[in-house]
Amino acid sequence: MDNKQTYADVFRSSGLSRRDFLKFCSFTSVSLGLAPSVLPKIIHAMETKPRTPVIWLHGLECTCCTESFIRSSHPAMGDIVFNMISLDYDDTLSAAAGHQLEEVRRQVMRDYKGQYILACEGNAPVKDDGVYCLVAGDSYKNVLLETAKDAAAVIAWGACASFGCVQNADPNPTGAVPISELVTDKPLVNVPGCPPIAEVMTGVITHFHTFGKLPDLDRMKRPKAFYGTRIHDKCYRRAFYDAGMFVRDFDDESTRKGWCLYKMGCKGPTTYNACSKTEWNEGVSFPIGSGHPCFGCAAPGYWDDGPFYTRLAEVSFLGTDSNADKIGAVAVGAAAAGAAAHAAVTAVKKRKAGSDNEK
Amino acid sequence: MSRIIEEVYVWRLPVRLYHWINALCIVLLLASGFFIANPYLSEPYGEATWFHQMSWFRYLHFATAFVFIANFLFRMYWALFGGDKYARFGGFRPWSPKWWGKPFREQISSYLFLRRDEPNYIGHNPVAALAHFAFIFCGSLFMIATGLAMYGENNPGGFTDTWFGWMIPLFGSSYNLHIVHHSAAWIFPFYVIVHLYAVFRHDIVDRTSVTSSIITGYKHEVEEEPSLD
Repeated sequence: MDNKQTYADVFRSSGLSRRDFLKFCSFTSVSLGLAPSVLPKIIHAMETKPRTPVIWLHGLECTCCTESFIRSSHPAMGDIVFNMISLDYDDTLSAAAGHQLEEVRRQVMRDYKGQYILACEGNAPVKDDGVYCLVAGDSYKNVLLETAKDAAAVIAWGACASFGCVQNADPNPTGAVPISELVTDKPLVNVPGCPPIAEVMTGVITHFHTFGKLPDLDRMKRPKAFYGTRIHDKCYRRAFYDAGMFVRDFDDESTRKGWCLYKMGCKGPTTYNACSKTEWNEGVSFPIGSGHPCFGCAAPGYWDDGPFYTRLAEVSFLGTDSNADKIGAVAVGAAAAGAAAHAAVTAVKKRKAGSDNEK
Repeated sequence: MSRIIEEVYVWRLPVRLYHWINALCIVLLLASGFFIANPYLSEPYGEATWFHQMSWFRYLHFATAFVFIANFLFRMYWALFGGDKYARFGGFRPWSPKWWGKPFREQISSYLFLRRDEPNYIGHNPVAALAHFAFIFCGSLFMIATGLAMYGENNPGGFTDTWFGWMIPLFGSSYNLHIVHHSAAWIFPFYVIVHLYAVFRHDIVDRTSVTSSIITGYKHEVEEEPSLD
């Protein structure tokens, strides 16, 4: 494949019109939350800049990020998306395998030193020298560090690479750590979610391609454009929340009426993602739209946040499963009992002191 | 029989006002906070847009929280610049080993019934000062900071988000922050019980009218008259 191809070339060679190309550019600028005045800049970049080479590594993961990515609708259709970035290495999608493929990775690292994007799907176990995830005969940790060394930027796809996801949920037997803990000297963007929304993934790549840098990031290194607000803030069921109309049970009239899922354990109020505005599968729906509470897959450590269908986390306390309210109530009860016992002792002591004085 | 031998003006008006505004705020914050965590009222009947049940409780929580914060700041001002010898931090020096010395140990052993006489203080005794520091000063600060961090989530990039939003990554996630805010709220009912018990007990044992002092401002010292019979 000619690596100097531009996005516009890819559109042309795929038999798509310039109108389609401009449409894609508009979609992209809208999904990135950019001003209309930036559109010519995007078009210019897409027409003139050679495609950005991407090395896509897979560590401890389930490949759901890739599954999501290939279903991107805007920008453009799945197969086009693959042609647009120069996806030079991806061990789950490549036809080549083994040494041949590993040589491609090293080739890209040499030819595009300091220019390629390293996209990481899945995280790296570090316990026992990273032996729990081996890629091409080496630990994923080593492959990751080796490839990150000459990358222009690192993208951490999904909850695994961003925050750890199920692999580093308690008790984290393999010592899995998010990419940001291993690669600390490169610009890094976290794109959390299990998986992240396809349009968000392509949006991040397009932003880098257009402007040559990562988008604006928040405190947790997530792109502000997609992770700036909570799902709750733009949820179409928000009116039911404010009114106090909650689903009480899945087998209930309130469910059929589509009320707020807050009491069913919806983590929308604490989860930052674009689900409620961008939605999934070409904007068909998203979990809450299908009547299921959000379980916060884009939030750090969500596997350890108790059952998905309860509002408050169960807090493990002295070997019992309990929630904050139970512990609090027990503490307050203990204080009351302690006060009563203290009062009783005071009374007894006082009476004794009184009788001592009378003697 | 006993008679009052001295009347001391301990709690000046700013302190009493702070105490009761704080007490009212804590009750309202706990009630509205527990409702937000678990909205137990049954849903209103009709169109969702007609009602504001949940948002009203949230509004109550936020509005009360700002009164609570203002009241706390006012008390800090009074402690630092009020020139009120019973209201300032003055003698509270937990970093100094001396503070943990005799008076503190005497008070503890008195509470543990290890000594007969009750040490008596006009202001707070050392154990009470420590409790107020831990529960009311640190507890309030913690609730204010975590609360403002969550309040900032309503307006990303806004003032409260900029200044307090760093607490979200500190606790790992917004969800964890909600949990610690909720869990820490329980220190207040816990504290209230211990506080009320200690006040009533001191009033009965020492007869210093400490209970009414937070309304009138005056504490009394009494002297036992010798029994004549």
